[in-house]
Amino acid sequence: MTLALGRILGVWRPFYVRLATGLLLSALALLSGLALMWNAGVGVSALALGTGLAFGLLRGFGAARIVLRYAERLFAHDAMFRALAALRVWFFRHLAKGAAAGLGFRRAGDLMNRLVGDVEMLDNLYLRIAMPVLGILISLPVLALVAGYEDWRLGMILGVLFLLAACIVPLAAARMASRRSGAILHAEASLRVAALDLATGLREARAFSGEARLAERIISEESRLHQAQLVQARAMAGAGAMSYLCGQAALVLVLLALTGIAGFSLSFLSGVALVFLTGTVFESVGTLARTSVLASQVGQAARRVVGVADQDQSSGAAGCAAPEAGDIVLRDVTFRWESARAAVLHRLNMTVHAGEHVALIGPSGAGKSSLAALLLKVAVPESGDILFGGHSISTLDTDSLRARIGWLSQATHLFSDTIRNNLLLGQENIPESRLWEALERAEIAETVQALPDGLDSWVGEGGARLSGGQGRRIALARTLLQETPIVILDEPASGLDSATERSFLETLGRTMQGRTVILIAHRLTGIESLDRAWRLENGELHPLPL
Amino acid sequence: MSGVDKKLVRAWVRQQSGPARRAVLPVVMLGCLGTLIGIAQAWCLASVIGSLLQTRGLQVLGLIAEFAALAFCRALCLYFQESLAARAGIVARERLRRSVLDTVIGIGPALLRRQHSAEIAALLVDRIEVLDGYFARWLPASMTWMLFPLVVLVAVFVVNPRSALILAVCGMLVPVAQAVFGIGAALASRNQFLAMVRLQARFLDRIRGIATIVLSNATDREAQALSSAADDLRRRTMKILRIAFFSSAAIDMAMVAAIILVVLTQGHFVHLDAFSMPNIYPAPHFTETLFALFLVPEFFAPFRGLALAYQDRAHAAGAAEAMGNIGDGEQRAGEETSETPEQIDPVATIEARSLSYRWNDTAPWIFEDLDFSVGPGEVLVLDGPSGSGKSTLIELLLGFVRPSSGRILFNEQDIATMRGRDIARHLAWIGQKPVLFAGTLRDNLLFARPDADKETLDNVIAAASIDDFLKDLPLGLDTQIGEGGFGLSGGQAQRVLLLAPISRMRRFSCLMSQRLISIPRPKTGS
Repeated sequence: MTLALGRILGVWRPFYVRLATGLLLSALALLSGLALMWNAGVGVSALALGTGLAFGLLRGFGAARIVLRYAERLFAHDAMFRALAALRVWFFRHLAKGAAAGLGFRRAGDLMNRLVGDVEMLDNLYLRIAMPVLGILISLPVLALVAGYEDWRLGMILGVLFLLAACIVPLAAARMASRRSGAILHAEASLRVAALDLATGLREARAFSGEARLAERIISEESRLHQAQLVQARAMAGAGAMSYLCGQAALVLVLLALTGIAGFSLSFLSGVALVFLTGTVFESVGTLARTSVLASQVGQAARRVVGVADQDQSSGAAGCAAPEAGDIVLRDVTFRWESARAAVLHRLNMTVHAGEHVALIGPSGAGKSSLAALLLKVAVPESGDILFGGHSISTLDTDSLRARIGWLSQATHLFSDTIRNNLLLGQENIPESRLWEALERAEIAETVQALPDGLDSWVGEGGARLSGGQGRRIALARTLLQETPIVILDEPASGLDSATERSFLETLGRTMQGRTVILIAHRLTGIESLDRAWRLENGELHPLPL
Repeated sequence: MSGVDKKLVRAWVRQQSGPARRAVLPVVMLGCLGTLIGIAQAWCLASVIGSLLQTRGLQVLGLIAEFAALAFCRALCLYFQESLAARAGIVARERLRRSVLDTVIGIGPALLRRQHSAEIAALLVDRIEVLDGYFARWLPASMTWMLFPLVVLVAVFVVNPRSALILAVCGMLVPVAQAVFGIGAALASRNQFLAMVRLQARFLDRIRGIATIVLSNATDREAQALSSAADDLRRRTMKILRIAFFSSAAIDMAMVAAIILVVLTQGHFVHLDAFSMPNIYPAPHFTETLFALFLVPEFFAPFRGLALAYQDRAHAAGAAEAMGNIGDGEQRAGEETSETPEQIDPVATIEARSLSYRWNDTAPWIFEDLDFSVGPGEVLVLDGPSGSGKSTLIELLLGFVRPSSGRILFNEQDIATMRGRDIARHLAWIGQKPVLFAGTLRDNLLFARPDADKETLDNVIAAASIDDFLKDLPLGLDTQIGEGGFGLSGGQAQRVLLLAPISRMRRFSCLMSQRLISIPRPKTGS
């Protein structure tokens, strides 16, 4: 866990000064708050004793406390926002390089959501964990030293009580809670699955009269979750009460010392001031149990996030550039997604000449998409070799290989952004005329033109504001814009109704002239103009007559 | 958020918080008790110190013991207050979830035409769970932030009117400052919350589409765009926070001012007394001043609690909007439950009489005046181009949506007079993208017929060619499928759900929309 947190802190290196400034301001604000209360105690008792005192100090600490708190809030939030952005960019880059590109390829959306949730959890690290911990680290020596200065025994006991209230009780509570937190996470996940089952299966539920059963499942998962939450909440409440009692015990102790019992020698002035100081120091310990639970959650999230981000399987970044074009040859390629599952491709041999249009047909689950993953180096074959223009793709630079291959599939994502940005994907040097040309060829230009905002129309989440066929055409225009010599079409029209499918395939046929096309589908519609076709079954290829 | 939405949110929040308010009443009462104990504690503490000023000795042991006993009571109060708040939060969430569940099930499949299933699931789980803070923290805080300071103020007034005046004036500063700096802390936390939500949405979108980004070689550009978007968001948010933090500063300022003023003004009098009768008599106001000072944090604590809990309120607004989105259909759901002639005779004939449908009164007709009838044992195949209304017709027959005009008759009975669930009882149906439920393959096969015996099950497995891929599954029928389990392809999923149709097919009419043709013909032809 410390290792994972270390990695996260490493990501924040450029912001160390800012983050440290935030922490420093927070420390100073805390100290001036303590000094204010100490001085209030000293001041009020000094007056009672008839001793004069300069009250300028009191006002000074008061003003400092207000100003420093404000500055701390501003600085800390600014630093936090910067750190968050850095963390997300870092995670994104590593995910893009690593195995998760393969996950995205396989549409493991749920896993992605969870990972994003974990990154979100890490946002708490600075404001809600580092700051309170710093508070403890400052309060403890201040209390112990100030009290110890009067009487070392008093300093010791107050220090121990504070440790008990601020560290031991919260940590113990968090330990107890962490035993529960597995149960809570599990129950939450089951509840989510149950709810998703009902929501996606509303039609099936109605048709098969299964609504009551699905609802019952949600309710029973919910009560399991809430039971676990309640136990945890009680543990937190108990810890809070214990910490509070420690603080009150400390006050009682200071009062006793003030009476002179057991040989305590404490001046009246300092004694009263110590009452104020003790009260203030223990004020916020009640919430530390939650902080410490949060810390363990953040630790786990950090471990998962770092684990995924470090899953770098990009084999040797230093490869030579891929040739402009060439034949694609598969030699004895065997591949499986997971070692426990059957091989989806078994000693596959296949050649696609440059400029050919070929199709790969097979029943669902036959491993057609894994072929695309292998060509794009999202996955690595278990054995065998894949050649492009005579070079094994394992020796080719991944980026340059991908620059040669366009990919269009049902899983191609439309971003919640404008049409323009969806087409450009961040490229800046493409003139608008080329965008329109690509849209024209994808036969969607007219539709885009008719939109009130044209190219700057918002496509909605996952392209939700467009129809299925329109979304697919925008994705096609994006693929066309890349001008790649090879295009892999992975079920490009699935999920579309037959008429839309037909017209989309016709468009595809017209736009793909002069490129190598590998079409992956579960059936042929007869519109495709193909040079060759194979059927993939049980990991083996069988030529199909055309 | 537009004005109408705001009104809707407010109405929903009011409706939800009525019973929830009653549920948190014990929490509020315990909090009140805790404040009273706090006042008594402050008095003990001040008296002990006041007495020690006169003579250092053990005469105060009794008072100290009282203080300790009060502390113990307050700890108990704190414990029960927090546990009860958690409990109230749970009860409120359970109540809310039941009502959302009822709405969702009541509207049924028609809901999927308006909303993405992921949104519905998020509403059922996350939107409600996140309301914990609203019910457990915001509600009690919003009910007590005026009351508790007032109780403290009265106590201070009785003992030390001058300090009470100072507290009152400084306390007034808080709402005034909040009015000046926008809604202050409230606005700050809401804006910060929204900023985070927007950043998160963008990030999630990019992560979901990471394959597309990677395969288009756009990683660097997207990373840069992500970074600059986050930066932009930070700059704009900080601009707002800069002002909004003033209101948190105002609470600090009021509290610090109260402390300093109480010390200075009361101290002054103590000082004068001390001059006229130096060091012989105790300063008469010392205990009272201490009492007021000890209560300053107690006085301001509810203000802080309210500011901290404001973010929880933002969650409630989000949930209310989501609820509003599905709420449109509630009326329609209500109609369905009115007439319930339970009719169990198996349907033999399905008939449509001048059936017409369109989305709304202004939309074009999807189909008009359709007449057909399907008898027992007949197979009817619907074919037609996309958008011609094939799936709409099927959904009409299933009772998922209601015809705009015309009637559908099952054995001469108009299905408009039947409950949605009763209609479904007569039909079996497999959609184009069938949904498998989390559980084993066996659970899914038996979903439609929990009572099916082994023989039926075996027949279906053979008939639907499930045995083709059954051997590839690690645990056979007990393999976990569905969400988070072993992935089955679309075609395989369709076959898994065939049990219902096949086992009900004895006397049935059969309608097939063209899309279903990818299902293999049952081998045994049952």
